[in-house]
Amino acid sequence: MHSPELLKGTLQTIILKVLKDHGKMYGYEITQRVKELSDSRLLLTEGALYPTLHKLEADGLLKTETVLLGKRVRKYYTLTTEGKSLVKERVSELVDFIKTMSNVLQVKLA
Amino acid sequence: MAELTKEHIDYIIKDLNYRGIIAEGVQEELLDHICSLTEGEMEKGSRFIDAYHLALRSFGHTAGLRQTQKQIIKAENTKPTDMLKNYFIIALRNLRKHSFYSFINVAGLSIGLAICMIIVLFVYNEWQYDKHFTNADRIYRIRCEVTFGGNDIKGLYTPGPMAATLLADYPEVEAAVRLRDRGSYLVKRTTENIKEQKVMWVDKDFFKVFSIPLLAGNPATALAEPNSIAISKTLADKLFPNENALGQTLILDNEINAKVGAIYADLPAQSHFHFQLLISTEGDARIKQDDRWYSNNFYTYVLLRDGADPKQLESKFPQLIVERTLPQLKDVLGSDFSMEKFKEAGNKLEYYLQPITDIHLKSAFTGEFEPNFDINYIYLFGAVAMFILIIACINFMNLSTARSANRAKEVGIRKVMGSFRSHLMRQFLTESVLLSLLSLLLAVGLAYFLLPIFNDLSERQLTIPLGSGFFYGTVIGAGLLVGLAAGVYPSFFLSAFKPVQVLKGHVALGMKSGVIRSALVVFQFTVSIFLVISTLAVYRQLNFIQNKKLGFTKEQVIVIEDAYALGDNRMAFKNEVMSTGKITSATMSGFLPVAGGFRGDNPWWIEGRDPAQQENLVSLQNWWVDHDYIKTLGMQVKMGRDFSMDFPSDSLAVILNEAAVKTFNFPGEVIGSRIATFGNAPTGGPDKENLIVLTVVGVVENFHYESLKQNITPVMMALGKRVNGPISFRFQSQDAQEIIQLVESKWKQIAPGEPFAYYFLDEKFGSMYAAEMRLGKVFGVFAVLAILIASLGLFALTAFTAEQRTKEIGIRKVLGASVSSIVLLLSKEFGKLVVIAFVLAAPLAWLGIDWWLKEYTYRTEIGVGLYFLAGIAAFLVAWITMSFQSFRAAANDPVKSLRSE
Repeated sequence: MHSPELLKGTLQTIILKVLKDHGKMYGYEITQRVKELSDSRLLLTEGALYPTLHKLEADGLLKTETVLLGKRVRKYYTLTTEGKSLVKERVSELVDFIKTMSNVLQVKLA
Repeated sequence: MAELTKEHIDYIIKDLNYRGIIAEGVQEELLDHICSLTEGEMEKGSRFIDAYHLALRSFGHTAGLRQTQKQIIKAENTKPTDMLKNYFIIALRNLRKHSFYSFINVAGLSIGLAICMIIVLFVYNEWQYDKHFTNADRIYRIRCEVTFGGNDIKGLYTPGPMAATLLADYPEVEAAVRLRDRGSYLVKRTTENIKEQKVMWVDKDFFKVFSIPLLAGNPATALAEPNSIAISKTLADKLFPNENALGQTLILDNEINAKVGAIYADLPAQSHFHFQLLISTEGDARIKQDDRWYSNNFYTYVLLRDGADPKQLESKFPQLIVERTLPQLKDVLGSDFSMEKFKEAGNKLEYYLQPITDIHLKSAFTGEFEPNFDINYIYLFGAVAMFILIIACINFMNLSTARSANRAKEVGIRKVMGSFRSHLMRQFLTESVLLSLLSLLLAVGLAYFLLPIFNDLSERQLTIPLGSGFFYGTVIGAGLLVGLAAGVYPSFFLSAFKPVQVLKGHVALGMKSGVIRSALVVFQFTVSIFLVISTLAVYRQLNFIQNKKLGFTKEQVIVIEDAYALGDNRMAFKNEVMSTGKITSATMSGFLPVAGGFRGDNPWWIEGRDPAQQENLVSLQNWWVDHDYIKTLGMQVKMGRDFSMDFPSDSLAVILNEAAVKTFNFPGEVIGSRIATFGNAPTGGPDKENLIVLTVVGVVENFHYESLKQNITPVMMALGKRVNGPISFRFQSQDAQEIIQLVESKWKQIAPGEPFAYYFLDEKFGSMYAAEMRLGKVFGVFAVLAILIASLGLFALTAFTAEQRTKEIGIRKVLGASVSSIVLLLSKEFGKLVVIAFVLAAPLAWLGIDWWLKEYTYRTEIGVGLYFLAGIAAFLVAWITMSFQSFRAAANDPVKSLRSE
């Protein structure tokens, strides 16, 4: 399992990318999806996920819709147009970063 | 996938509420998430409750949940201004809703702030004195401490040759200048004399030491010629309106023809001297060449070199005295005179350096040019201003916490709705800061109107620097600070309420939990009562001085100054005025028993004793008077007789005061004893060939001739040969105006063109205590304001209590309580506090008064009565304030107060 410290800076990018690939998702779904994609090696904690989601929403990158499920209310997140245009940029930024890191650390990525 | 049942979800909601997850939006979302997690676990075969706890664990239980909630709320608040705006709006609404309390707060705070502002301006002004000179940090004045022949002088007079010697022999000194005060001068261009008070004889290097900007003339040569003078711009404008004054001629005292060598800019108000006319010492050989080290007549200022150590220079002064003063003293007093013997007899002669920037606040020696201020009063004023501000801040604290009961519900609701303690604190702080900024605005206005009154009291010309950005910065900074200081305690207090208790109605707050509040009220009244007692004490001492038996009669004496302007017509003038019949007697002598009169002392001894023996010498004030002096000034002859025309031998007679008789300790009968001294040589030194012997013919009762701060020292009076100085007339008439007109008309008749100047002896006497008078007034104002602000607070507190206890009062009235008993009930609580405050303030005030009275040799008894007077006054003010509110509450119709629910 990867350290949550390493995850910190990349969290926004991960969320944006996952949402781009899957469209409408709710919080629990996002954690499950990331878990699945990473072979359970990345675990998004709720304490990190929800503040980030709300931050992205407040910044206007995400929009939400709520669906009533009996007594429960489910909140779905989707990218706004602004969010969509940003994903590519964020992802390539992160990729660049990974490359730089491999140079800095003098290791070859598989 | 296993679906949770309704009951499960209800359970989770309840549990989340219990754990404090309540924020709108957050709860639903986390609920859904937890439900999903729980379902996932149940899928794996767990029971609901185990699955739920596993889900909770992934959040980190209660702490983790709350942390998440907090983070989410924080993440949403991207624009902090939104919240500030909200704080601001709520604060405004609150202030408006409780406008009565807001008014009390604003009124108190703005008065306190205005006082503070004025005091700060004043203190700043006092610190600026003499800093305008370019080398202010290197200019020093020399002062001396002399104990000799029973006299103890701390003064500013130094020997004539000192400046030149310091400049020549001491490498630390870059420039030195002497100043010599010879009183006022009559100045004229052609015919009309004007009187100029601020005149000084100065050495030609004056402008080298003091960087006063010259409007015309060359600073290096302006005073180099004999009879050259420099005049201020004010004097130049007066004498030479719209003309170039440089190079013009002025006639001083009808005898010196002086040429204007320079015109200098008027000295700023913050200077320790404001000479209008500087006369060069080049023109007077006796001043210029004065080489007597034992005779101190000059002010000496030195400009030290950059980096020179004043302490080091000062440490060389004792050696200077040994080298220069000692040989001359041996000459004068006999060859067996030595420094050791001099010191053994308890005498001393020491010189010190005094930084010019210290003069205004730390110097009160004999011979100051202008009355200086005392740094202790600066501290005192500062402390008092601080206290008044604190009293105003306390009003705010007390009213906020007292009304906490009313706001407790608000706090509870806000907390339930998701406010954190920090949010509430910010809310309350916003309110107090807003209030203080509002008060500040009013305070600036108030200070603007109060400043002229204060200037009048303090004899300053302070202005509010409305054009200075620094001023606004300071003021706004101070406003924020005061707001925070006043708001921090209430905000801690109010935001600490537990919502559950508050909303259940357990507000055990109100008036009863007010230990701190009571302490603060006690503090307010302690300060107020302290100020009232101090003010009363200052006034009592002043009154004591004014009515003290002085040993002479100061009333109904008019003194005509500058009689020398009459020239040889002095006697004619005196006789003319006498002949009107309104005058009972007249005397011509400058030696008057009020500060500013002529003074001069000399060592005397009982005839036949050896003057070389120091213990035989008595330092006497030598007053040269005429036959009518004692009669005119109303001194009491205790032994022997007054001078009389019937005894031609009186030209060699002397009258002593009781202090002199005591110091001489004559072996035989006092009347008829003879005392001796050496007369003056033409150079100014004592002439050993010229022994003067006088016979004691009378003794007068001791009379105060300086401020009552000083002891009465020995005085002798003898008939003067050369009559000069002012002429004093004792009159009978009650109409002083009539006497002035009468004397003036005679003056105009005999001396046309000469300025007529007079004063009344009692007024001059009063002016010796002008500083005390001002202190009394300023303290009076402070005391009144302190009481006023404190009472405002009490007024509001009582109003609040009455409001809280409306029902109780209603029930009491229904059960038969009288209005007066209810008023008493309501006032009792705070009345107690005022009494405690009095008990605290009285000993403090006693200490303060004791300190202040120390400098007076003659002081009044401050009886217990004064303390009680102050206490009762404060209590009455407080009680009237309270009973106004109490009475209103008590007089209410109980039907109304009880029916409202």
